[in-house]
Amino acid sequence: MTARQRLLADVTPGDELDPAVRNASRVQLFLYSAATHNPHRIHYDRDYALVEGHPDVIVHGPLQGAWLSGYVTSWAGPRGRMLTLTWQNRRSALPEQDYTFRGRVRGIDGDVVDLEVWAEAGDGTVVMPGTATVRLPVT
Amino acid sequence: MPLDPRAPVAAVQTPRMATHGLVPEATTAMVGQALGDPVSALVARRESQRYARAVGDLDPIYFDEEAARAAGYDGLVAPPTFVGHAVVEGATLDDLREDGLWVDRGRGRAVRLNVSRTMFGGEEWEFHRPVLVGDTVTAQRRLGAVEEKDGRSGPFVLLHYETTFTNQHGDVLAVSRLVGIAR
Repeated sequence: MTARQRLLADVTPGDELDPAVRNASRVQLFLYSAATHNPHRIHYDRDYALVEGHPDVIVHGPLQGAWLSGYVTSWAGPRGRMLTLTWQNRRSALPEQDYTFRGRVRGIDGDVVDLEVWAEAGDGTVVMPGTATVRLPVT
Repeated sequence: MPLDPRAPVAAVQTPRMATHGLVPEATTAMVGQALGDPVSALVARRESQRYARAVGDLDPIYFDEEAARAAGYDGLVAPPTFVGHAVVEGATLDDLREDGLWVDRGRGRAVRLNVSRTMFGGEEWEFHRPVLVGDTVTAQRRLGAVEEKDGRSGPFVLLHYETTFTNQHGDVLAVSRLVGIAR
């Protein structure tokens, strides 16, 4: 399988990344808990999540981070290299809700592209702001 | 932007004065210190791929060695943020708290707070080298800073953890700076 490779020359500051929507089912939350050996009840036990003041079980912050990681690396292409990734889980994310990932090229330093990336809830609220730097191939 | 992996980790911040007594002095005294011994684990193909499927990232470099080599890697790659999960030891069922998390035995290095409800607040990653399936990863965690804050729903504590991941050759693979929220 050959994915299209993004090259440094393809990128200009101000470019916007194509948006991508993520929506976690409750089964995905369970599978993520299992794959990461995470027993925290707020992610699978709704009654307990309510006790802690959450409106429902909540999406793991690091799962949203993994979504962001995939959003950046798929943009960079197979020969791109993600050098840094940061995010803040500013609001809880809920299962069965759409979250739209977006990004913008902030700058380019040599072959390293500086991105602003974030996830928005359905009402446009930013639930997770972040940044990434990516090294792109020249040829 | 990528930092020098040999640079000292943890720019240790001066702990703020606790205003609500949520942070015991013994915890404040641990800022900057290692939390427990280093933990090592083999990066297993199946575990890496289960993680990739669970997060929905089906990049061929995680599943097809030929694709990974074509992309310039020396073998199958693990998803970048998987390394933090590869080293999770777990504990016995007797060590589970009411919220499902493990009692932090910490071998004398447990971070104790006077609040127990915890949430993940965010993370900063530096990726220095790819994590390859078959690598043996060693993680060393340190307590970065502990800050008590006032929020709309009352006081809370921000815990900064810094983890350095190295491979079997002693190369730094990644550094994670994670923020936990306790209230």
